[in-house]
Parts: sequence; C-alpha cells; structure tokens
Amino acid sequence: MKKVTRLGALVAATGLIASSVLGTTAKAADVVELKMVAADYANMQPFWDDLSARFTKANPTIKVKVDVVSWETIDDKVKTLVATGQTPDIVNKGDYSAAAAEGLLYRADEVISKEVLADIVPTFLNNSKYNGVVYAVPDLASARALFYNKDILKKAGVTKLPTTWTELEKVLKQIKAKVPGVYPYALPLGPEEAQAEFAIWAGGNGGVLFKNGKWTLNSKENVQTMEFLKKLTDQKLTQPNPAKCDRTACAQALFAAGKAAFINGSVFLEGWLKDNGGASINIGSGSFVAAPGKKPVTLGVQDYFTAYKANGRKAEISKWMDFIFEPTNYAGFLKAAGGFIPATKSAGAIAAKDAKLAPFIKLLPSAIFYPGDQASWPAVKGAIQQQVGTALVNPKKTMDALQKKAEAASK
Amino acid sequence: MPNSVNRRSRLGALPWIFPALFMIFAFVLWPAFEMIRTSFQEVSSSGITQGWAGLENYRNLLINPDLPNVLIRTFIWVVGIVFFTIVISLPVAQLLNAKYPGRKLVRWAVIIPWAASVVMSSTIWKWILDPYYGVLNKIAMDLNIYTEPIDFLANPKHSFGWLMVVAVFVSIPFTSFVILAGLSTIPDDIVEASTVDGATAWKGYRHIKFPLIKPALLVAMAINLINIFNAFPIIWVITGGGPGYETDTTTTLGYKISFRDQDIGQSASMASINLIIILLFIGIFLKVSKSQERNS
Repeated sequence: MKKVTRLGALVAATGLIASSVLGTTAKAADVVELKMVAADYANMQPFWDDLSARFTKANPTIKVKVDVVSWETIDDKVKTLVATGQTPDIVNKGDYSAAAAEGLLYRADEVISKEVLADIVPTFLNNSKYNGVVYAVPDLASARALFYNKDILKKAGVTKLPTTWTELEKVLKQIKAKVPGVYPYALPLGPEEAQAEFAIWAGGNGGVLFKNGKWTLNSKENVQTMEFLKKLTDQKLTQPNPAKCDRTACAQALFAAGKAAFINGSVFLEGWLKDNGGASINIGSGSFVAAPGKKPVTLGVQDYFTAYKANGRKAEISKWMDFIFEPTNYAGFLKAAGGFIPATKSAGAIAAKDAKLAPFIKLLPSAIFYPGDQASWPAVKGAIQQQVGTALVNPKKTMDALQKKAEAASK
Repeated sequence: MPNSVNRRSRLGALPWIFPALFMIFAFVLWPAFEMIRTSFQEVSSSGITQGWAGLENYRNLLINPDLPNVLIRTFIWVVGIVFFTIVISLPVAQLLNAKYPGRKLVRWAVIIPWAASVVMSSTIWKWILDPYYGVLNKIAMDLNIYTEPIDFLANPKHSFGWLMVVAVFVSIPFTSFVILAGLSTIPDDIVEASTVDGATAWKGYRHIKFPLIKPALLVAMAINLINIFNAFPIIWVITGGGPGYETDTTTTLGYKISFRDQDIGQSASMASINLIIILLFIGIFLKVSKSQERNS
C-alpha cells in the first residue's frame, strides 16, 4: 500500500511538472523566437543586436536571437546544430549547396519579397542556385586584387607593376636582392583560405576547379600553377612556410608589419590593415597576375543568407529578411561588415561612387567564382584547405590526391 | 524475510550512488553507444541521418589514403611521449623528494604547467615557436646562431618532434607527482638500513626504491597512455594536424574527417576504431606489466 501511494505521488509530481512546462510553452506560443547564426565579418554582434531590437519593436510577436560566430568555427557550429536537432532558422555564411541538396532550405522566393529578389545583382543570384533554383540570398561579396607595399617597391627600384607570372618572378627577385628582411610575396596556403589563394592563381592560368559537370583539380593548368608556386617558394621568393601560413594571422600580418611586398588581398584588406596595426603601410593595388598569354582574372567570393525549413517559420523569416534588406538597414549591415561589395543593385549604385570599391565592382562581371552550387563543394573546399599547401612539395601527387577526394565526395 | 531486507537495503543505496550511475550512463555509456551507432549510419554532410550504411563507413576509412601514416604516427606519438615522460619524471620526482631549502618553491614551479589548461600551454608554445614573433627565434638570432628566422613548424618532421616535446612538457608534472607520492610512502628506515649495509646511492635506488615505486609508476603510465592518445588540443592548437595531414594522429584525423571532409559517418567509425586502439594499448600494457611483476 505504501509503495502505491509513493508511486502515486511520483506520477502526480511528474504530471505537475509536465503541465507547468506545457503551460509555459503554450504561453510563449504567441511570441515566436527566430534563431539566427551569423558569421563575424568585423564586429557584427552590436549591429545584429540593434537590428533585432528595432525589428521586435516593429513586430512585437517576433523576436530574433542572433549568434555571431567566427569564420573559423561557423561551419562546424551550424553542422553540429543541425545534427543535434537544434537547427537555426537563418544562417549567414559562405556556402549553401549541401543544405539545399538535402532539401533543408526554403527557396529564396519563399522567404524574401519579389522586390528585394529583383534588386539582387544577377551574377550573384546565378551563383545561389542548386539545380537551377535559387536557394540562398546573397548578402555581400568580395573581389581580389594584387596589393603591394609602395615603399618596398620604391626601395627595390620597381617602377612597373607586374602583370604576368614571368614579370612577377623577376620583380620578386629584384626585391629579394635589394630589400633584405622582406618576403617578396606572402603566400598563404594554410587551411584558413587556401582555396582562395589557389583559385586565383590557377584562374590566371585558365585553370578552374569544376568544369562540364566534373571536378578538375588535377587539370594540366592547375598542376602547372602549383609547379610555378613551388618554383617561387624554392627560390625563397615567398615566406618559408606557405603550407601552414594562414591568410589572416600569417600573410596579412606580415604585410601589416611591412615584412611582405606583395599579397593577394580582398577588397576589405585596407580596412583590416587600419584595425590591425598596418595603418602606416603605403598600399597600392592592381589586377592579379596571370600566366604569360593568359587573361588576368579576379576571384569573386560571395556569402549567403539561407533559411532552414526545420522549424517551419517561413512567414516570420520572410518578415525578418525583408527587414534586413530595407535600404537603411542593409547599408548598416554593409558598414558593420566593413568594405565589401553590396549584393543589391541599389546599394551597388551607391557603392560605385566609393573610389575604393569602384574598381572591384567593375571587375566583377568577369570574375571567376567557386563552384558553390555543387553539393560537394563544402567537402572539396575542406580538402583543398587541408592539403593544397603540400602541393609545394609534390604538385602532381597532391593534386591527384585532391582530385580523388573530390570525386569521392561527389559520389 | 531476509531477502526483502536485502532488497530494500540495496534500493536504499540507490539515492547515494544514483548521481554517479547517472553520470556514467549520460556522459560515458550513452555517447559511446551513439558514436558506435553513428559509425554504421550514413550521415549527410549537413548532419542529417540518412539511414543505415552497414560497413560502408569502415570501408571508406580503411581506403582513406591518409590513414596508414596517421596510424604509424599515432603509435610513435603514444609510445615516444610516455617513454620520455617517464624517463624525465623519475629524476624530477627524486628532486622533488630531496630535502633542501626552497623545495616548496620547486614543487610549485613543477605544478604550474599541469595547473594551466592544455590549450593555454599549447598556445604559449605555438607563439614561442613562431617564426616571425617567437621568442626562440629571437634568442637564437640575437646569439648569432643563425640569421634568417626558422619556422620550426613548417617541416612536418620537425613540427611533429616539437609537438611531442610539448606533450612531454605538459605530462611531466602529473607523472612526477604520482612518482613522488610513491617515493614518500617508502619508510626512511628501509633506506637507512640499506646504506648501513653498504649500498651505494645507485644500488639503493635500483634495488630498494625503484621496486617500491613501481605500482605508482604503473598507474602513471596507464593514465599517461590514455591522456596522450587522446591529446587533441596540443596538436590542434599548434599545427592543426598540418601541413596536410602530416602531423595528425587518429584523434585529430577523426575531427578533420567530420568537419573538413564533411563525412560524419566515417568520422564516427574512426572514433570507434580509436576506442579499440586505446583498449588494445591498455591490454598490451597490462599484460606486459603483469608479466614483469611475475618476473621480479
């Protein structure tokens, strides 16, 4: 008898707890909280906090909680959230294709108004498709150029900016001979952004990552590119450790310290230098070098907003996305991110008057982009980041190994 | 009647052992079960389970071109670090046990690397070894040993050596304190008796002290074996397993398969094999230590 009463008490207690829990969720149901995970371009958290507060003021039934995460960890974080059933509603990062391929995402036209969608630059929209359907909303983009330290070039007596590999090699040798203590070219093939460094060099030799439905990492052009970079490294025309040199902590830091003459930099490099001790660097830029007889290219990199279906918050997401793209809010977003190319035509028209951005915006139509529409791109990117640096030891062998990995990933 | 009393007293123990049982189930057994289950599943690159995969993940892992070298390296990593840690910790423990003014200070100094988090120690070492800003290059260049900065971590052979140095460095405090605990249980009169009988310092150590600290030594070795095998932060912070996969052990390779190659299933099979490897290590270790005990 005693036992029974104890059991009864237990059941009653559980019931009480359960009902109280249910009660609170029932109450919370009239206020919806959207979860967003966003990459940290510069100092994004204050921007998002302010935007979300203003949004909730206008839409009292929707709250938005934005988690700003560093670029190094955002892919891991989103993947962990999805895998453990805590899928966020909106994600702002650099890829979308794998999620689109698995049917996790809303189509862009489901979560953003027609007007905004029509305002997005067509090139960017083209790079946001999976199987011909737009699944991601471009948020901003960057393009690359060859940046140089004017003072070092002056000291070395370089008067003409190199445009081909041959000219570059000559200039780098000249710098090495005349300006000791300086690395002529900072080559970051460490995991952080190795795919970007590789893609722009290869692009200058007509090499691409993906062509006619196939990965082409070990194409003749790509292997030649790595052979050329190996030649530069072997002659000590780069810093000594390209395979472990990350873009930010190593290459850009060397450039900021005045220890590197040339660097492949993105539109935001100047802003970054100012915030990271390189304000005194006398910086110049030109189009990136290409192999003799080949066309110079720039690498366009764009990032995305993606909306996940898991929590079924289509209507709320749509309101929030339109709010982000309201001209003043979107201008604030671009400002917080710091010196990127806008994804909308309207904001692009304003940015085109900015002397620093204008040349890059002009380059964009001819830019090469990552094959971001391939479902296996995140895995291939991961493999390139890990391994392409070791191609400086044995170009052909490493590129063959990468090709195999890419093929296995797209099975 | 006695039976029911027995049962009741057993149940009565439950509130006391429940927290421990709960911890073991929630944080050891359940995750291990999930890991093994995942290793037989196909998981999409976004992290969604797509169904059973049979042995596919294990097959993919076994044909992974990076695996053989990583396995060999893991073996060198574990055996090498445990060996050097013990060899260095034995004299350090003697030093800590000897009586001299300032001994307390020395003991504290040895504890510090242990008290600091491994990520912190690793980060400090990463910067010590940095080619452009590191203090080691600065000192060597100021002493004119060489003129161009050297990147100690650029060549995988060197960087793996440095990783091992760091791992030994962070393992010494714990190991030497366990040995010290063994040393302090040796009664003074035994040592005194051996000196009276004419044993030299070395003989006294070899035949009296060493056999007596052996149990402590075995505990230290077993714990180090597990710790070093699982030492993720040292490698991840200092080299990230790079360049390429050339300083990875099975622990960091598992992480990379999951978060770089986007293959969670294969990563889970790597983790499951890790479990088997560490069990093998412990098994061999116990066997060797038992047969040694029999011999002595």
